[in-house]
Amino acid sequence: MTDLESKLTAEIANLLDDKKVDVFIAFKKAESPLHPQPAFFTESNQLGDFVYNSLCQNNLAAFIPRYPLSARIGMVVRGCENRAVNHLVVEKQHARENIFMIGVPCEGLVDWHKLVNRFGEEMIAVDEAKDEIMISYRDRQIRAPRQELLHDSCLRCVHPNPLSADVTIGELKPEGDPTLARTEVAAFSALDNAARHAWFRKEAERCIRCYACREACPMCYCTECFVDHGVPRWTESTVSPAGMRAWHIVRAFHQAGRCVSCGACERACPMDIKMTYLTEKLNEDMRTKYQFECGMDDKTQPPFAAFNLDDKNRFEL
Amino acid sequence: MSQILPKKNLKQLLSNWAASYEIYAPQQLEKFAHFMPTNGSELLYIDEQHNTRFPPKALFLPQSETLMKYTRFGAAQETIPESKPRIVFGIRPCDAKAVDLLNLMFLTEKDSDPYYQARRKKTALIGIGCNIPCPSCFCTTVESGPFGRQGMDALLTDLEDIYLVRTLTQTGKTLFAEYPEATEAQEAEAKAVQQRSLKLIDPAFETKGLKAKLDSNFENALWQKFADSCLGCGICTFLCPTCFCFDIADEAQRKERVRNWDTCMFRTYSLEASQHNPRPTRRERTRQRVMHKFSYWLDHVNKIGCTGCGRCVRYCPVGLDIRAMLREFNQLEAEVANG
Ligand code: SF4
Ligand code: SF4
Ligand code: SF4
Ligand code: SF4
Ligand code: SF4
Repeated sequence: MTDLESKLTAEIANLLDDKKVDVFIAFKKAESPLHPQPAFFTESNQLGDFVYNSLCQNNLAAFIPRYPLSARIGMVVRGCENRAVNHLVVEKQHARENIFMIGVPCEGLVDWHKLVNRFGEEMIAVDEAKDEIMISYRDRQIRAPRQELLHDSCLRCVHPNPLSADVTIGELKPEGDPTLARTEVAAFSALDNAARHAWFRKEAERCIRCYACREACPMCYCTECFVDHGVPRWTESTVSPAGMRAWHIVRAFHQAGRCVSCGACERACPMDIKMTYLTEKLNEDMRTKYQFECGMDDKTQPPFAAFNLDDKNRFEL
Repeated sequence: MSQILPKKNLKQLLSNWAASYEIYAPQQLEKFAHFMPTNGSELLYIDEQHNTRFPPKALFLPQSETLMKYTRFGAAQETIPESKPRIVFGIRPCDAKAVDLLNLMFLTEKDSDPYYQARRKKTALIGIGCNIPCPSCFCTTVESGPFGRQGMDALLTDLEDIYLVRTLTQTGKTLFAEYPEATEAQEAEAKAVQQRSLKLIDPAFETKGLKAKLDSNFENALWQKFADSCLGCGICTFLCPTCFCFDIADEAQRKERVRNWDTCMFRTYSLEASQHNPRPTRRERTRQRVMHKFSYWLDHVNKIGCTGCGRCVRYCPVGLDIRAMLREFNQLEAEVANG
């Protein structure tokens, strides 16, 4: 157990023992070395399995909309998860006073795709030190620089620190470099239409419509997604190019002003499909055209959801 | 008795076959292995130890398949595929066995699915064994193994510069007819590789009595516990080589009736027109997946509906591991029995 893990365990145990929360959402050890499992602790004696490391790839805020508003939920949050919680509060998916956030300034998540694509599926354990990842096989161990294995969303993260956690454990990190964050969007935007379309098609058209990206996203909590809607049907049901493109473009648009750049969608994808370039483009538009960044507080409606009878602005998209 | 295929001859062999067969073999898609058509000129991705991400069942039961076309006022026309003879090259033992299991669903004596049949009947499976199994593989637990032969026409063992080819059917014999016999030393080397691999796989869980334990714990609270972490996505079932559920839809704009893979993990899976859903929450859906493979399959065809390929273990985004789930059920009943 790392130092951080012991501190977190102690903090969570207190919350549970003092009955300050009904459930504490965190991660526990799973057999697969790459995927710690979201866990729902209700008693402090269950915390033996607790883990917190950079392979904890899910955005746990995605589990919040499953609970009734009255449930008192505790969570360990990184920067993006804190912003996701904030935005879920804006969208009235939970009451802020019923969420207790233990914040952890984030070092970035290790991307399992990068691990597997580089080191193969035969890894039996993955451990980490500050700047290094240690990969164990049955008969040998390899080390690799952590930086090379971070998920792309983490590499370009601007706000790694929890913004409004109830307690924060660990030293705050410097804010990320916003220009770095915009390089992929800039690269995509710089392309002509045909090249952008080719980029989009290359990613979207190997989709298997498993909807793991949707299920992993804290903002995709609709009980009926547009793709599942029967009458009328909004998209083709098949894995045809038209069906897959419709899914990818509409999913991205439904995130306009609602995406917290956590990358959980991309990390869940079994086909290594890039999709944050689309949501980051929308985030960029939100920043530059509307001076809005999702999840920075738990009150401000995103521009496309806000409605004001006295609105004097021209309609613009 | 086996034959020898030098690796350097593989391209030539595939291009010879390509004259009369459509060939599918693992190639690199992005960074992972994926079955794609080849005529021998593409670089294959079979020396890597990993299996393909996407299961080869899709070559027999495509994720979306047009069943018929229709016109506005005219008659419908079935679109049964007319494929050339096909070779699926480089299929792993778990996946070949899975195709064999799918036969039990789609190719029964009295009721065959013509679409599946058209593809399956014309396809030879040339398998390759796994020298270094992944820790997520558990084929040996479910009556297969890293060099299992079920469903194959020939099985290759990778011996560095050569493949040792064990032909298993007449088709297999014909395909490799021109290759020389293996020496005794080569046979022995292959055997050693196979045995080494076998030893690397630990039993994952006890299958004896498992069905009874699952059946008697249908309402157990464990199902809710597992479902709590589950996202309800399509990964574990779409990537599973034995899952075969589908849904039929009309794509009216194309005037086609299609069938698409469906999965019990989706909330729309058993949703009825009345909006009633007999599996209303992730609890019932998680239970369905596990029960189907380890209980209902046994009821129907007396086989476990899992070949231990490990995909659901490797790619579940929340680390829900079917092996761990089943062990908990095994454990549970033991406790009841003891107490
Ligand atoms: S769209 Fe992706 S990056 Fe944005 S909030 Fe959802 S999961 Fe996170
Ligand atoms: S997770 Fe990947 S494959 Fe699945 S629906 Fe999303 S983009 Fe498609
Ligand atoms: S249940 Fe999992 S391990 Fe078994 S065949 Fe399906 S994907 Fe493979
Ligand atoms: S019911 Fe579920 S587990 Fe069974 S074949 Fe269908 S999708 Fe797979
Ligand atoms: S892959 Fe994992 S999260 Fe997705 S449905 Fe299967 S068990 Fe649930």
